[in-house]
Order: sequence, then C-alpha cells, then structure tokens
Amino acid sequence: MSSPWRAGHLPGLAPDAVQWQALHYAAQGGHLDVEVPMLTDAQMQALAARVRLAAQAQLQTLTVDTVIGIIDRAVARLLDARDPVRREADALLPIVTGFDAEMVRLGLTSYLQAFRAPQLQRFVAQDFANPKVLDGFQPAVKGGAVRAFGPALLAHVWAGNVPGLPLWSLACGLLVKAGNIGKLPSAEPVFATLFARLLCEVHPPLADCLAVVWWKGGQPGPAVTLYRASDTVLAYGGSAALREVRAQVPASTRFIAYGHKLGLTLVGRVALDRQRGPAAARRAALDIVRWEQQGCYSSHAVYVERGGAVSPRDFAQHLAAELANLGHRHPRRALALNEAQAVATWRRAAEWRAIAATDGGGNELLGDAAAPWALAYSDRPQPLVPTAGQRCVQVSAVDALDDVLPLLAPHAAFLQTVGLATTPAELYRLGEALGRVGVTRIAPLGGMTQPEAGWHHDGRFNLADLVRMVDIEQAAERAADALAPYAQESGE
Amino acid sequence: MNPSLQPTLLPALQPLVDRLLAFLAQDGCSDAEFDDLAAALFELQYTFNEPYRRFCQRRSATPRSVSGWRQVPPVPISAFKDATLSCVPPADCERVFMTSGTSRGEVKGRNHHPTIAVWDRSMQRHFEQRFMQGSGRMPMLLLFPDEDQLPNSSLARYLSLAARCHGTPDSRSYIGPQGLDVGGLRAALDKAVAQAQPVALMGASFSVVHLLDALREQGLRYALPAGSRILDTGGYKGQARDLPPDAFYNGLAETFGVPRSRCINMYGMTELSSQFYDAGNQTVPSVKRAPHWVRSRVLDPLSGQELARGERGVLAHCDLANFNSAIAILTEDVGVAVGDGFLLLGRAEGAEAKGCSLAVQEFLEATRP
Repeated sequence: MSSPWRAGHLPGLAPDAVQWQALHYAAQGGHLDVEVPMLTDAQMQALAARVRLAAQAQLQTLTVDTVIGIIDRAVARLLDARDPVRREADALLPIVTGFDAEMVRLGLTSYLQAFRAPQLQRFVAQDFANPKVLDGFQPAVKGGAVRAFGPALLAHVWAGNVPGLPLWSLACGLLVKAGNIGKLPSAEPVFATLFARLLCEVHPPLADCLAVVWWKGGQPGPAVTLYRASDTVLAYGGSAALREVRAQVPASTRFIAYGHKLGLTLVGRVALDRQRGPAAARRAALDIVRWEQQGCYSSHAVYVERGGAVSPRDFAQHLAAELANLGHRHPRRALALNEAQAVATWRRAAEWRAIAATDGGGNELLGDAAAPWALAYSDRPQPLVPTAGQRCVQVSAVDALDDVLPLLAPHAAFLQTVGLATTPAELYRLGEALGRVGVTRIAPLGGMTQPEAGWHHDGRFNLADLVRMVDIEQAAERAADALAPYAQESGE
Repeated sequence: MNPSLQPTLLPALQPLVDRLLAFLAQDGCSDAEFDDLAAALFELQYTFNEPYRRFCQRRSATPRSVSGWRQVPPVPISAFKDATLSCVPPADCERVFMTSGTSRGEVKGRNHHPTIAVWDRSMQRHFEQRFMQGSGRMPMLLLFPDEDQLPNSSLARYLSLAARCHGTPDSRSYIGPQGLDVGGLRAALDKAVAQAQPVALMGASFSVVHLLDALREQGLRYALPAGSRILDTGGYKGQARDLPPDAFYNGLAETFGVPRSRCINMYGMTELSSQFYDAGNQTVPSVKRAPHWVRSRVLDPLSGQELARGERGVLAHCDLANFNSAIAILTEDVGVAVGDGFLLLGRAEGAEAKGCSLAVQEFLEATRP
C-alpha cells in the first residue's frame, strides 16, 4: 500500500485545514503509512462544541433501542466477512499490530458478537433495572421518578494493546447518548477510525455526534482542551499514562480510569484426569496465545493442583506442547528489540533459577531460545508476577488451589480475570475467596480473553458509571399536584 | 607489584594470573593471542565454576568444542544475582564487588576477585591511555563515596585508585554522610582557577547533575584551567532528573569551562573487570572503545546471534581480565557496532506495557515495600 491511510473522524473540519502526521507500520509482510490528525487547540475546541451540539440534537432524541439498532447494524457489517470495511480491518490490523492475521480475524469475530443487539440489551439491562430511564423519567421504586442522563461530551483515551478495544467504551458512550470524542492509540489507529466511518454510513446523522482524534503522547495542548470541554473523561492505560491524564482533567470532571491488570489460571485436580487434563491444557494455552498476553485479561501464571492423574509437571508438558502447536497455527508476531530483550531476560531468569541449584531446585525452563513461547515450571508455588508476555508463562504446582490466595492478596489493585477449572461447588466457594482478595472476573479456561457482554469491567459499571441520575422526588410530585389547574381545594 | 595468591587457592590459577598480567602489559595483541588466552580462561571457568559449566552444557559448549572467543557462551549479568559465579570459593577471595541495587531487598549481583591485582592493572592501563592521556598528576575531585565507605563498590575502588595513582595528595571524595559537599567543591574549584592548576572532576553521572544544579542555583560558573577534564559514569539511575546527553555536556562546558571534547564518559559494570571510554562527547552518542584485552559483539537478545554492523542489539563483552567469574558477559545495554568501537544507546528497558496489560517493571515498583 503506497498512499497513506488516513485515520480519524473530524466532522466539520476540512482535511486541508488539518495538519497530518504519518505513523509508519510494518509487520506480517506488509507496511502501511497512517496519517493521524494533529489538531490545534482551536480545532479541538470547535470539534468539541460541534459534537456536543450534534449529540444533543441527533442522539439524545433517539430512544436507547434505536441506538442499539444502529450499533447492531454497524457490528453486523463488521461480522460479515465479505463486507468491504471488515475486509479492510482484516487487511490492515495485522500490519499495524503485528498480530497473526488469523488470530486477528478469529479474535475480532468473537469479540464483535458481544455488541449485537441482544448483547447490547444485556449491557443496558445489567446496569439499569428499567432501561427506559435512558429515554425519559420513569417511576422510581422509592416513589417519585428517575431519569439517567449521559455526559453531553465524553472524552475517551483509548489504548492499542488489543485491536477493537475502543469499541467497548464507544458503544457505552453511544448507549448513554453522549457526544463522543476518542483519542486514537498510536499503537492501533485503525479500528476506531473504521468503526466511526461505519456508524456514519449506517446512520448518517451520527456523523457529527462523534469524533476520532489523535495527539502526540505527552503533548498537553489539545488533550487539555478536550478534557476541559468534556463532562467525563474515560482513559485506558498504564499507571504513568493515567497519572498524566488525571493531572490534566479538571477536578470537577468525572474521570474513569482503566489501569493495568494481570490475569492468572487455576487448574483444580478435578480437571486433571487423563481425558480432561490435556483438554484443559489446550484451553489454557489459548488464554496465553490470544493477543500475545497484551490484554488485561490475559493469563501470565498458571497454578496447577496436585493430586490429579495428570501431575502439575505433566500438565506443564501438555501446556508446552499446546503452545508449540499454536505457534504453528498462529505464529507469534515479530518482536521489537525491547520486547525481545524482555522475553530474553525473563527466559534467562527462569533458566538461572534452574541452573543455580545442582538439582534444578524443582525449576525447569521449557522451550528453547528459538521457540516462540517459553514456559517456566516450578514445583513450588511462585509469586504472582507478570511475565514478559509474548507467550511466556510461569506454571507452578500447588497442593491446593486455596494456597494461591495469599499470593494474590498483595496485588489486589492489579487483579482482574482468573481462569478457573473446578467443580460447581468449588466455583462458588473459590469465587467468594477470589473476589475477597480483589479478583473481579472468573472465566473458564480458554475464555479469559472473551469477556461476556455486560461484564463489570474491573468490577465497575460500564454504563451506570457514565450517567448522572436525576430524581423527581415524590414530595415534588405532590407539591406539583397541588398546583395543577385541576387541583381541588383540600379545605385546609 | 606481584600478587601472591594464598596457598589455599587453586594451584592452576597463579600461572594464568601471571600470564594475564603480562597480557595486559602488552601494547596490543593479535587475534590468535586473544583467542588463546580466552580459550585457557574459558577452560578454567568451565572446570571450576559449576553453575557456569551447567549453563555451557545446556548450550553444548565445552572447552573442546569452543574455538575462538565468539563461541564462549556469554553469561547474562542477571546471573550474577542468581548464582555464585566464581572459580575460587568466595571466602578465599580478596575482594567482592556488588551491584548497587537501588531498591530495598533487591538481590545484588556479585563479582568475586581472588586477587584485586588484575582488576587494578586493567583499570590503570586503560585509564592512563584514555583519560590521563599523558598528563601528570592533578587534583581529582571525586563525586562518589570513597573506597573506605563503600568497600564493595567497584566505582569507589575505581575512583580511589585513580586518585592514588594519578591524583595529587589533596585529591579526595566530596561525598560524605551529609551528601554532596558543595562548599568544599567550590573551594577546590576556586583554588584550581586561582592557581591555574588543571583538575579532574570525576564521579557518578547523577552526582555530576546534582553538582551542576547546585552551582547553577547559586549562579556560579567556572573557567577551569586548560587541561582540566571531567569523567562521568553510570547514567542517572533515577537519582537525578533525566537530562538529555546534549544538555548534560553543554551544562558541563558552560558551568566548568571544560570543552565537551574533554568530558569523557566511562562505561563499566560490576560484572566486568575492565572499562570502556569515549574520546570526549563533542557529539553524542560517542563511540566507546575497549582495551586490547576486551572484545565486544552486538547480539540479537533472543537468539544470541551476532548482528551485522550498524544493527541495534544488546552488547556482549569478552573481558579477559574477568578471569574468575566469566570472561563472556551478556549485558542489558543496547548498542550498535561502529568503527573500532560501539555506540551505547541506553538500557534495553524491557517492553513497555501498552494499554491495560501490565509491565513487569511497573508491577515491581507498585509492590515494592
């Protein structure tokens, strides 16, 4: 592809009036120049005003069901493998992210299904007992009436670790009928751009209700302008990035931050008989391979309970074999120097743990330096620490899954998803204990990277956190009754 | 000075140490001479250093199979924390240098020196050539605690040795328990200017930044006499604001009147027994050069394959003076081979986490007590 691909969606701004910067991507045998907009403060201000007004006129007049219908139509197009926009996504995302093309295709299709109409209904129902509060005042249980208003302008700071990520917050913003301005991540500026275009095609009046922008990281000008103009700012990113955004958001503006998280896998002995053990390893491998552990929900540590027919060490061997298989089916992306160094450092640390003791001390490193994965096995429970990603995983044997709990407790702030294989009774008992130490999501093995529609992301409310509730008190209703033209004198 | 090894030490070692000292004293060496000594030292380390032998065996490298220094498996510097890499039992070693380890509870890397004579000779030979450059003794103003305060610091040893061998008697450290002695330094700098006596200002890069900041705050500038020079080493390690190299060297030139070409950066590490120098920092990054007993390669971090000249990779050094631990070291520094040396492009920091995935570094920082 020789001519640059233009990212962003800037209603009301003439492309010629905007300064563009080229970002270069090369991976998976292709290369792509993406032009991203560099807005002036004045342009950002104009954009914010336009989006705010348009949302008021075009979006806030729609019912939530209508909005769901619009998103559903856009998502249906992306789920259609022959649709030109989907084909563009399939062609560009591997080049931009470096992820294996087939992994992107499968991952995106599975992910998008969470945004079809029935699933979006679930999003809404999860947070609002009566979804019609998003459309008008509804009777409140306590008496009186209640209504939910989304922010007039919602700013998103998106992350590019997993393709498609901006859809979560953008869909939420649309469901609460906010004007939306999202900042593209430099790591993946394609998906949000495509989705914005698609929404405008599906429902042209939306074109002015959202914008997709970019600025250079650490550049305060346009960022601060946007945050000042917004009612709510929602950001994804690491602690340093979030600190920076937080410092720029006015104190009176609602700030919602999704920070770094860490996932792990627990395999109970009940899942370790001769049939189930290898199958569990196959599923656990998917949680490591998908998106190269770049997701907040990805697994970095696997704790395997002793006492099953398949021993923890055997499980580690099965897992290693599955990682090797998946390495053929979904080749690992090419690593940048710092990523390769991180993987090499992690491998070396595991290797030296095994070398330093004469008998290896119960530690092993599986996978040679050329393998696109690495597995460190220890017959003692190892502390919970993120690996270098890129399919590096620590497997530890434990006597009982409960032994893992004390290892998690110190890291409550970083906990999110646990992949858990155990019996129904244990699911609830361990679920209680895991929740207590800070875990916010329990998924099946192989399902960690595919959260269900309506999940409580990092334990929070996707939609309820965005809205402002307005109460008409029962007493106000009564007082109004007294002032009605048809009011009758009570005789007081 | 002829080092005498204690009788309990390996009998095999003394002849090798003598040979090594003679090698350091040479004016240079041929490729074959370098390979010969590398082979002898590799065999020593393979034989007497058990963790290193296991490391080599995993790579099918034995004294019989290895030919040429490039084939000696390089030990990652992190291994100096995980294992005891020493041919001679640590208790029998004259000196042990430890990595600084900035966080509490962090395991420190250790490099054991059965005799410090080899390390000293290596330091002196190269220091004379690249830093003193034929100059006579001069006052040395050291911005690092001295050897008595930090007996396990290779940098403290380095600076103390420099002052002993090439400094005037008034050379001393200006860092004590109270921190940087700015008053003392001002007096020493004033004296140098008044007496037209060239001086050497030497120390950790972050202390040099602290001094720069302190003098600037007081609005002080010096025009140190011609022949004065500055040596900084070690980067900032989070202990000073992150100053871009150009701003740093411009600051030195402005504040001390020492041209950037006389501001020399030394690159060294606890895990080695030799240092690298540039020929001033007129332009940055500057080319770092090794003495004849050290050779360097640029490697792909994962495969360990040597990269073509001009490609960025991690630096691996073969330092023959590191006779007791491991002559071949794999660093975590990014570099690129140029001319007769390499450019040092910083540390390979490991991958920065994108979005909501978690980077190891950030995790460790958050969980530090």
